[in-house]
Amino acid sequence: MNTSEIEKALEKPAPYGPDIDLSKYKLEEAVVEEARDIDPGVASAAPRVGLEAGKLMYVQANERALYTAMAKALSKYGVLVLPTREALEKIPKARELSWRLVNPARDKYTAAAYLYGGEVGYFIYVPPRTKVPVPVYTCLAITTNNTIQFAHNVVYVDEEAEANLVTGCAIPHGVKEGVHVGISEFYVARNAKLTFTMVHAWADGLHVRPRTVVKVEEGGEYVNYYVTYSPVASIQTYPVVYLEKNAKAYLASIIASSKTGVYDIGASSILEEPGASAENISRVVARDESSVYARAEIEALESNTKGHIECLGLLLSPRAFISSIPIITSRKQGAVLSHEAAIGLIAQREIDYLMSRGFTEDEAKAVLVRGFMNIDAPIPPTIKKQVDQILDMVAKHAVG
Amino acid sequence: MALLELEKLSVCVEGKRIIEEASMVVEPSEVHVVMGPNGSGKSTLLSAIMGLKNTSICGGRILLEGRDITSLPSYERAKLGVSLAHQQPPEIKGVKLREVASAMIKKYGCSDCMILAKTLLVDNFMNRDLFVGFSGGEKKRTELFLVMLQKPKLAMLDEPDSGVDVESIDLIARSIESLRSRGTSVILVTHIGAITERLSRIDKVHLLIQGRIVYTGSPDEVLPVVMKFGYRKGLEILTGKGERIEH
Repeated sequence: MNTSEIEKALEKPAPYGPDIDLSKYKLEEAVVEEARDIDPGVASAAPRVGLEAGKLMYVQANERALYTAMAKALSKYGVLVLPTREALEKIPKARELSWRLVNPARDKYTAAAYLYGGEVGYFIYVPPRTKVPVPVYTCLAITTNNTIQFAHNVVYVDEEAEANLVTGCAIPHGVKEGVHVGISEFYVARNAKLTFTMVHAWADGLHVRPRTVVKVEEGGEYVNYYVTYSPVASIQTYPVVYLEKNAKAYLASIIASSKTGVYDIGASSILEEPGASAENISRVVARDESSVYARAEIEALESNTKGHIECLGLLLSPRAFISSIPIITSRKQGAVLSHEAAIGLIAQREIDYLMSRGFTEDEAKAVLVRGFMNIDAPIPPTIKKQVDQILDMVAKHAVG
Repeated sequence: MALLELEKLSVCVEGKRIIEEASMVVEPSEVHVVMGPNGSGKSTLLSAIMGLKNTSICGGRILLEGRDITSLPSYERAKLGVSLAHQQPPEIKGVKLREVASAMIKKYGCSDCMILAKTLLVDNFMNRDLFVGFSGGEKKRTELFLVMLQKPKLAMLDEPDSGVDVESIDLIARSIESLRSRGTSVILVTHIGAITERLSRIDKVHLLIQGRIVYTGSPDEVLPVVMKFGYRKGLEILTGKGERIEH
């Protein structure tokens, strides 16, 4: 890795989203320690993203990475859940995988994470043919004001293994400003499956810059279910998924925007080999004066590949803004790509109908918004139940 | 006290008068049938009684158990016991029938809702998006199920017999009987009359033509004439302006 090139990238803004001056925020020293008790800030933030503090396997408060007893419980299956910094010291595989998918010189956020992040974040390894019996719950929280949090997450699901990872990123009440930069490198080996559910609940003054790249090997499957529902100053993310032969990806984003937040959220799937397929689905519910850019891209590099994009948006306020930007690119004959995008209002006829059944106007809107966000994503029932509870909350929040 | 009274009710849609001074009195547990040709204003009349926003009252009053509900929003009327089985309910993507039914059960309470669902053969599509891809019969039975969940004092059924098979019509007729046996009054809109033959009791039949209730009578008096001669000629006969028929 050429360090001077990465240092140069500290000045390189991202192509999308407002540019953030990271020097305005304070960075705490990176620390790794065993958690005797869950940090009270994390414990109060976790329920905002549907998590129970007692079930967490990895916890990060600002730059403090904490082991938990729950993570150790998974070790009997050979599953490793530990802070990335620790993993880089002890596990050769972690060193081999780290910063392989995400280029540290990609933009100022990846460069800062690489140079100053202290390698906190989680490392998860699932051995071959192991089906992790419970979801792996992790929570990252910013617990003090005006702080920058870096997280570098590396996940490797080995051949024919299966894992469900749930990550909540949130702040407790009282924290108003900060920056979260999350670097995620996920590897799904041959015929393995990874379901990654992420819920974000931030605040008006938070800037969020996740940088995610996923590699899915032959026959593997990756499901990404992303929900963000709180106000935020800005969030900009554009995860990229590379799919080998017969690999599948399902990327769903549910965005409930509010206040004056800028939500620039995309997803890109690259169909590298025959038989690869991807679905990029998004639902946007925009209120107040928020701006949402819903980007989605599927690129087919080979024939006999399939991809579909569906971006649907609901404007709940005359001052909100949604821009839907689907891109499909085919470089070979025999790739079948399609997209569907629509932005509208809640249908008055549907509101009237529900009101005639005894729902108040606000109740009717909440039911319809909730329905609008329903996506039949291929996620396990336990997680579906949790996501449903979060979406119930999102629907109530969306209609105020 | 009458359950429902319409006092010279006029209804406008987009500024145009569709119903002119309609008057009607419905007592508890009565079954009234409103018949008329296509476009005569039957659905508009029911929509106005329900308080749907596509209609506005441009004259007269609606009283429910003596209380003026003319300016109440539809959800308030629903809470007071007014319900409507829509002729063409909207397809609502993403919203499951189960979710709407559960929310209504919370609002209205229900001791026999699963029996109702089985009786109306809607239990198999509880997890389907509301009305999306439903057949005609499925839509009508679902509407009736949702009406019954409201435990209404007044059930208004807008053409529950159109576009459905014979089995569904029988099922719907039995449900109307069940509603009546629970003390619910029913206003049944139909323009083909297939369902009226299957009901054990109808108290009154109203003929609605060009927005006006032009005749109100007993079913024995009105139905045979209308079935045989149609609305316009039938009306002439009923009002003594045409030939009489023997019952």
